[in-house]
Amino acid sequence: MATPALCNQVAEKWQRSFAKLNREKEGITGLLEFTQGWLMASDQLRPRDKAGLATKPQYDKAKLRECFEIIRACNLHAVFLDDYLDAIGRQLPAITNDIDFYMKMYEREPTAEHIANLISIAARWQRAWAPLPEMGASALSAFTCTFQTHLYSILPPSFTTGFRDLISATFDFTSFEAAPQWLLTRFPCPHGIPRPDFTLWTIMQELGLIERYETLILSVCYERIEGHVLEASEKVWDRQMLQEMRDWMSREVVPWLTMPYARDARSAEHATMLMKNVGSRLDYHVCKTLADLRTREIFDIIIDYPDSRPALDDMKECLQRVDQRSQLVQSLRKANRRRLLHPGADTKLILTQYVSIIRCLRIVDPQGVLLFKVADPIRRYLRDRPDTIRCIVASLVGDGESGDSLVDENEPIQPINQTQLEDYTDPNWEPEPMDAGPEFRANKPSDIISTLISIYDSQELFVKELQILLAQRLLAITDGNFDRERRNIEILKIRFGEAALQVCEVMLRDMTDSRRTDQHIQQQKASDLHPTIISRHFWPPLQANTFVMPGQFRKIQEDYASEFHVFKPDKKLLWMSHLGSINLQVELDDRTVEVEVPPLEAAFIELFSEQDEWSVPELVEKVGSIERPQAIKALVTWVELGVLKEDSPDHYRLLKTAEESGSAAKSSGKQPTAVVEELPPVVTVQQQQAEQMRVFWKFIEGMLTNLGQLPLDRIQQMLKFAPNYDRNIDQLAAFMEAARREGLVTVTNGVWKLQRD
Amino acid sequence: MKVTIKNWHAIAQWRWDIGSNEVDDEGDVCGICRVPYEGCCPSCKMPGDDCPLIWGECSHVFHMHCLLKWLGTAASKQQCPMDRRPWVTAERKVDAGQTASTVR
Repeated sequence: MATPALCNQVAEKWQRSFAKLNREKEGITGLLEFTQGWLMASDQLRPRDKAGLATKPQYDKAKLRECFEIIRACNLHAVFLDDYLDAIGRQLPAITNDIDFYMKMYEREPTAEHIANLISIAARWQRAWAPLPEMGASALSAFTCTFQTHLYSILPPSFTTGFRDLISATFDFTSFEAAPQWLLTRFPCPHGIPRPDFTLWTIMQELGLIERYETLILSVCYERIEGHVLEASEKVWDRQMLQEMRDWMSREVVPWLTMPYARDARSAEHATMLMKNVGSRLDYHVCKTLADLRTREIFDIIIDYPDSRPALDDMKECLQRVDQRSQLVQSLRKANRRRLLHPGADTKLILTQYVSIIRCLRIVDPQGVLLFKVADPIRRYLRDRPDTIRCIVASLVGDGESGDSLVDENEPIQPINQTQLEDYTDPNWEPEPMDAGPEFRANKPSDIISTLISIYDSQELFVKELQILLAQRLLAITDGNFDRERRNIEILKIRFGEAALQVCEVMLRDMTDSRRTDQHIQQQKASDLHPTIISRHFWPPLQANTFVMPGQFRKIQEDYASEFHVFKPDKKLLWMSHLGSINLQVELDDRTVEVEVPPLEAAFIELFSEQDEWSVPELVEKVGSIERPQAIKALVTWVELGVLKEDSPDHYRLLKTAEESGSAAKSSGKQPTAVVEELPPVVTVQQQQAEQMRVFWKFIEGMLTNLGQLPLDRIQQMLKFAPNYDRNIDQLAAFMEAARREGLVTVTNGVWKLQRD
Repeated sequence: MKVTIKNWHAIAQWRWDIGSNEVDDEGDVCGICRVPYEGCCPSCKMPGDDCPLIWGECSHVFHMHCLLKWLGTAASKQQCPMDRRPWVTAERKVDAGQTASTVR
């Protein structure tokens, strides 16, 4: 029910609208003009389907501009725009059909070409429906937004895969020759453009695809980089790959990169600026890929050192860019555990690899944090190996047999164990790196040998082992040439200090003295005997096994000893008959055998020259203080040489004439045969310790007998009074535990007592 | 059958001839420094001829350096530190040791 007031209000509104549209023109001409303009403009802009586009009328540009002027003058352009955008939404099925068509093509045959076609079609639709420039920038952006929203909403999920294929394909469009035909026809490029995919990228930009799929484009790029780096650098350690990869980047990737990122750069500098951000991301990715690869390969790289030095330099550079240090440590520790620190690996091998690790990680990380973290398990493992010290010492004095010593000859020889305090006055001082642990000690410049020796807490063990090794070598010398040993000792003196090697010094002097003494005695009375006379207490304990040389040997020894006594009236000689070697000639009826044999063998053959047949017990009794197995071994030596024959068990007979059959004939061809002495003349450290412990066991047994039962610390305290007792309580505990297993003692609540039978 | 020695490389230890024929493994020690005779006195580094022994008429034997140092002190009164008899260095004859050279 219209009240008059309402009527008035409506009339007024109507009047105002009319006035707005008519723009104070005469009659209704203004209104007519507006209607005509609106219709013309909307017909021009109306999104049409394919058929409609074909029959689209061509309007005069000036007239159209006039129409827009009118609409704007009537303040209705916003409504007009809304109307237009709505119409686009309604006309969408026209595009959907095309897109569906090309996606089906792609799904049937997944090539980048179909996706490119799809993009081309979509771009054509966008261009066809785009508003006129006369409508202003806001209209254009509103249109683009609406159109692309609709476009993306109808793109199926499989488009992403297809788009990825297309991007990947563009990598290979480096020149017009390399570009496929469809690219050139669909996306023709203007002249003077370096790459054939220029137009494609421009269109993708127009459709907003580059912005929307930036991550995808970059991930394609990453994949390319990864693929190339892995292919080119895997197992290539003999040249620096990082720079090569960077060169490849600027040669292959950067021109491509200009397409999505710097297509319309005005100059090279401008392009560089535009790509700076993404470029550094890609460079990071190169470093990361290479670092990952090298991290996986690190163990083998270290094995190949020093040939793999360039790879390590790469690693260093990569690590400065990429934070991969902890991964490197993890990877190397894992590889070490799996491939190095197991019972199948030789101690020497482990040491060699450890030294290589030290050298390699110093290149990668001069501060030594990585090394510190990696080395720890190796050092702990080596500490538990019984022959580590021997191996280190052997390499210290330059193992004769194996050429490659752990020690680099060129490395300056330094005294070991200089604990270096941080020098804060050093202008090049740097703080410890971030990832250094609390236990990290900056043992920067210490040399390899010091590092190896610091595996153990004390140097004493090394010196002891060194003494044994030196003794073995010196006693084996027969030609009096020990210059090498002297040189080694001089070098080691610098490392360990003079005092520690005093004993070795005495050993060397014994060698020279023996020689001089021998020369003098030979002048007085020539003898075939050339002894090395040693000062006991200064040599490691020698295998105590002394027997009496028979016959002419004894005579020679006595003669020599009395000559010695004349030369040095205050001294006398004590023969260690079982040590040394004798070169002798055995003349038999039909042949002569010349051999170098240990003394026991010589003693036996001497006995056989007195009597043709001997039984083993008789022989043992004749020379005294030898074990049966040793006697058998000595006899077997002669049997193998075809001089003796075992007629019946334990009975040996001299073969005056060679026997045709068996070993005699065989061995006659290869004389003289040198027989290697298997038993080392020097008692090893372990044997010495076991020997000592036997003494201490007597004390323990005594105190447990007298005092009944004792706790471990009391035993330890009392043992401290025993001479030379240097074990700590843990070692004692281990020893007591061993005694318990032997059934010698029992333990209850930490109190030990003797096991009573 | 005949065995001819061409060359014999042997190992021997030297001992001081301290008059007794018994060969014990531990060896005697100098009564002053408690270091074995075949070792060297605390002020020496090389054993043997560089740190010889000295024999007394009283049958006691010391490192020469040790004894001379002792005799150099006023408290010694030129006596043997073991039995307090005046120290007289024994004359040693070269041939005296002929029989003492033991072979084992």
